[in-house]
Amino acid sequence: MSNEKKNSNNNNLPLVIIGLVLIAAVGAGWWFYTQSKTPSKKGGNTNTSVANTTKTPAIVSALGAQPPNMLGSPNSSVTVEEFADFQCPTCGVMHPKMKELNSIYGSRIKFIFRNYPLAIPAHDKAYDAAVAAEAAGLQGRFWDMQNLLFTNQQAWSANPDYRKVWEGYASQIGLDIEKFKNDMAGLNAKSRVDADLQRGRALNISSTPSLFVNGVLIPFEQMNIETLRQIIDSELQKGQSNQQKQPTSGAPTTPAPTAQTSQPASNTAANTAPKK
Amino acid sequence: MNEEVLTEQPANKIAKLPLLAALVALVGLCDAIYLTIHHYTGEKVPCSVTGGCEAVLSSSYAEIGGIPLAVFGAAAYFIAFSLAILAAFGNRLMWKLFGFQVTIMAIFSVYLLYVQKYEIREFCQYCLLSAAVCVTLFAIALFSRFWRT
Repeated sequence: MSNEKKNSNNNNLPLVIIGLVLIAAVGAGWWFYTQSKTPSKKGGNTNTSVANTTKTPAIVSALGAQPPNMLGSPNSSVTVEEFADFQCPTCGVMHPKMKELNSIYGSRIKFIFRNYPLAIPAHDKAYDAAVAAEAAGLQGRFWDMQNLLFTNQQAWSANPDYRKVWEGYASQIGLDIEKFKNDMAGLNAKSRVDADLQRGRALNISSTPSLFVNGVLIPFEQMNIETLRQIIDSELQKGQSNQQKQPTSGAPTTPAPTAQTSQPASNTAANTAPKK
Repeated sequence: MNEEVLTEQPANKIAKLPLLAALVALVGLCDAIYLTIHHYTGEKVPCSVTGGCEAVLSSSYAEIGGIPLAVFGAAAYFIAFSLAILAAFGNRLMWKLFGFQVTIMAIFSVYLLYVQKYEIREFCQYCLLSAAVCVTLFAIALFSRFWRT
């Protein structure tokens, strides 16, 4: 009799242990979560970066499209800003590298894509392509369209009926086609492209792709994953040490090269003529 | 159900290997819960051993469909723990399931090690601990197979 009782106790014991561990795990998780949530919010401001208070080489008053097409974290101490043209083959080659960079760094960086369609005969569809990407962006699908435009660059570039091809992309990513067509014809998307163009001109961009890391133009020969990683890593480290130095800083937190209107730079911007 | 009971164990005796596995799985569970909390609070984790925790934990590999990998890890460790406990009390089927599960976990851990080494090129000590736990669990399962025969 007592053996049976013992056996039935033994049958229940594992379930009791499992139940206790489950309760303990969920309970401990919740407790630590609520414990650490408060200080993290208080300390939240320390995360917003003060990375570039000392070195701000490429600050211009032309902000570019607002809000920019951005990936990653707006609070990151490292801003990577790419100016690209959808019809430029090198930009097409850079595209997967930029994607790789974003997948590696995720929320550690702030990645901004700027349209910079070059006004040259070989790039006759580049401006329209930028508008198409922005029109998709007005429906929240900028990055999907940007990806399709770059990955299928050769296909639509050579197609005289390229708008139809883009409409195909638009339906592929689930856009409202009528709205997409309207937005392509309308001013909203175009004005975003124009704003990016202005910013690019103010930054003296002469070719695409052009890449800035925390406001510093990266020479073309350094635009490979290896070197970019080194640059970004060192900027991240600087950002970290800055944070440690100024843990409670209330300084403005706009990392270059997003807009600041400090005097010498904005003068440069205003007086800058496009290079070409 | 009765035929699944480990007959070589007296009913009230606890099998040692599954019990050891359960304890090891608990370590993994704590690790995964810690990383889950870190993910949702956004706090930085102390990272004195490997130095690359932030790089790894904020990379796109740290999430699947918006859910942090640590959540899947915690669930997997909890299941492994439960199976091991049930096996410790004599349920052989659960020990087989445990062996199957930890094999998958070990393979996935190897993949995550590869990602850390070659994709992110940084290591996170908590992820290494998790990988060590998975490999240990796998080794225990493997050992128990040869040990029994």
